[in-house]
Amino acid sequence: MSERMTMRQVPLEELTITPGSACQGCGAALAARLVFKVLGPNTIRHGIPCCPDSVTRTPRAGGVFEGGGAMLTGTWRALKAIGREDVNVVGFFGDGGTYDIGFQGLSAAAERNENIFVVCKDNEAYMNTGNQRSSATPLYARTTTTSIGVRSRGEPTRKKNIPMIFAAHHVPYVGTASVSYPLDLIAKVKYAKGLRGFKILIINCPCPTGWRYDPSKTIEVGRLAVQTGVWPIYEILDGRKFRLTYKPRELKPISEYLKMQGRFRHLTEDEIAELQAMATEEWNRLLSIDGKELNF
Amino acid sequence: MVSEVMVGNKAIALGVKLSRVKVAAAFPVTPQTTITQYLSELIFNGELDCEWVNAEGELSTQVIVQAASRVGARAFVCTSGPGQLYMHHPMHRTADERLPVVMAVVHRGVKGMQPDHSDLMSQLFTGWIQWYCENNQEVLDTCIMAYRVAEDERVRLPIAYGSDGYILSYTAEPVEIPDQDEVDEFLPPYKPNRSLMPEDYDPSMTRGWGRGGDPQVPWRTQHEALLGAKEVIKEVNEEFGRKFGRRYGNGLIDEYRCEGAEAVIVGMGTIASTARVAIDRMWDAGEPVGLVKLKCLLPFPDEDFQRIGREVRAIGMIDRNVCMGIGGVGFGCIRNAIYDLEDRPKVIQFHAGLGGKEVRVGDIMKAAEKTLKVARGERVEPLVEWI
Repeated sequence: MSERMTMRQVPLEELTITPGSACQGCGAALAARLVFKVLGPNTIRHGIPCCPDSVTRTPRAGGVFEGGGAMLTGTWRALKAIGREDVNVVGFFGDGGTYDIGFQGLSAAAERNENIFVVCKDNEAYMNTGNQRSSATPLYARTTTTSIGVRSRGEPTRKKNIPMIFAAHHVPYVGTASVSYPLDLIAKVKYAKGLRGFKILIINCPCPTGWRYDPSKTIEVGRLAVQTGVWPIYEILDGRKFRLTYKPRELKPISEYLKMQGRFRHLTEDEIAELQAMATEEWNRLLSIDGKELNF
Repeated sequence: MVSEVMVGNKAIALGVKLSRVKVAAAFPVTPQTTITQYLSELIFNGELDCEWVNAEGELSTQVIVQAASRVGARAFVCTSGPGQLYMHHPMHRTADERLPVVMAVVHRGVKGMQPDHSDLMSQLFTGWIQWYCENNQEVLDTCIMAYRVAEDERVRLPIAYGSDGYILSYTAEPVEIPDQDEVDEFLPPYKPNRSLMPEDYDPSMTRGWGRGGDPQVPWRTQHEALLGAKEVIKEVNEEFGRKFGRRYGNGLIDEYRCEGAEAVIVGMGTIASTARVAIDRMWDAGEPVGLVKLKCLLPFPDEDFQRIGREVRAIGMIDRNVCMGIGGVGFGCIRNAIYDLEDRPKVIQFHAGLGGKEVRVGDIMKAAEKTLKVARGERVEPLVEWI
């Protein structure tokens, strides 16, 4: 399990090069900064089309959108073949490349338990192409392909539960994190980095451009996602040991999270109540398994 | 050197072993599947020191070998028909990054299970070198030559070499197996163009989207590299011949009984091996028709066909493919190559063997007879014939 860290333990060295291609207030750019600080320079970063395209002081390998899992596999196997198992093989992918188009290859790499580290910066839609829905888009969210009209109330289905799906592959490490809880995030990267086998960390990354809020509020939005139970942060070892790494004493009402974002502006009271019920139910389910063994 | 009677797919696996491949990835698809079985056996019983990935689909197999080659491991992938189509997208990238991956394509058409060349033909725009083999010995030897050409500093391009499904893949023929020591002398270890290792990091490695500069330049340099590969292919074929005693024409084409011929027919893969018998019978009957085996489709051997075009009065291309809406790929390429000749010969088109339709010696003799008539100025119908 990851161990609590203090600010003093956070490496000072910056591995990302600003500005990259990020918008103001980009949660994913912050995720890159935190993640690569901990991974350190002995890393090959693999990129696929995603938003933003981060720039790090490490070698970079690029590839096709759908090929993230296979690309990491090929790199890892080749490093093994040439005797360089010390190098971190890291994929820094978006939610589209993880939940959707890249899912098959990632699932296969997880099943083969390749020694790779997948970091997913989840901003809940295809932000690179202009905010089209992905399977990471939450219920009722407005995107450019789930617009609000007489036949649509926004995204029609729930967000895919990708962390639990990967946990069901019985991989060494699955974690969820938030850019608004940097010490928790860093501790998870640090711990997972030391494990051999397939690791995946899914980071909630608020996106002011797509979610439609003031760019100065990214941390606040991210924090509310965790405090309302919309994005619980936890880790699962070997697909069995489950632990919530942050437990608010009481959940804040989901409306506080929703009302900050333009993508939820159209919601009715009933719809908000429905989302509240879903979040509460899921949170209670996670509380009931906290510290226990999962049984997939 | 030892000799063994073996099927084409085993010859491919032995070629991979002799080439000391470090990373191989594959997904089972008929008729390529038994290569994956032979390879996993060679790897798991310790005869080949190689990372073996049983991937979940061909798209991933292509991406895996691409990544492995980039890191610095000699990489191999194989496929057939629909699998070839499925891996199309990353194939562009492998060539774009100038990664010397080698791929065996056990031909299967895209309209069913039976063999034709439509699988690899559908990859013409990806920038891979394409070779078509006619027997199991050539299949084995070509794997070794492919790595030598692909990894040559002047080339650095991926190569796909074809073996006709069923006709070669499951048919046993005597094959000479080169000695490992001699192959090692012929094929030095692979070094990547540039190191991807963190200790060699420099900021130019961080290139993201967009490269700046003239956007046509990557197309042009890659195209010119492909054209430039012709000389290297000939050189490697010649050196292989000196070392192992077997040559495949000049590496690009193989001419059979073309001397004194009034016409030639052109075939690829096993159509060429069947055509050798047909051509013998033609000469026996006093009809002077030669055979040109087109081994290297990409880069296309324009110069060779220009030379042949000056020597004969008609060329009959037997295409085991059709680019629907245009015609046979080989036919178009040959006409294109000879168009500027002062006194150019006629080029006529045959389609044969599509969807696995059997191509017999007699079929090829008819094509040869028709081509000879054209060479002698007789009128023939139809101009495009489906044998």
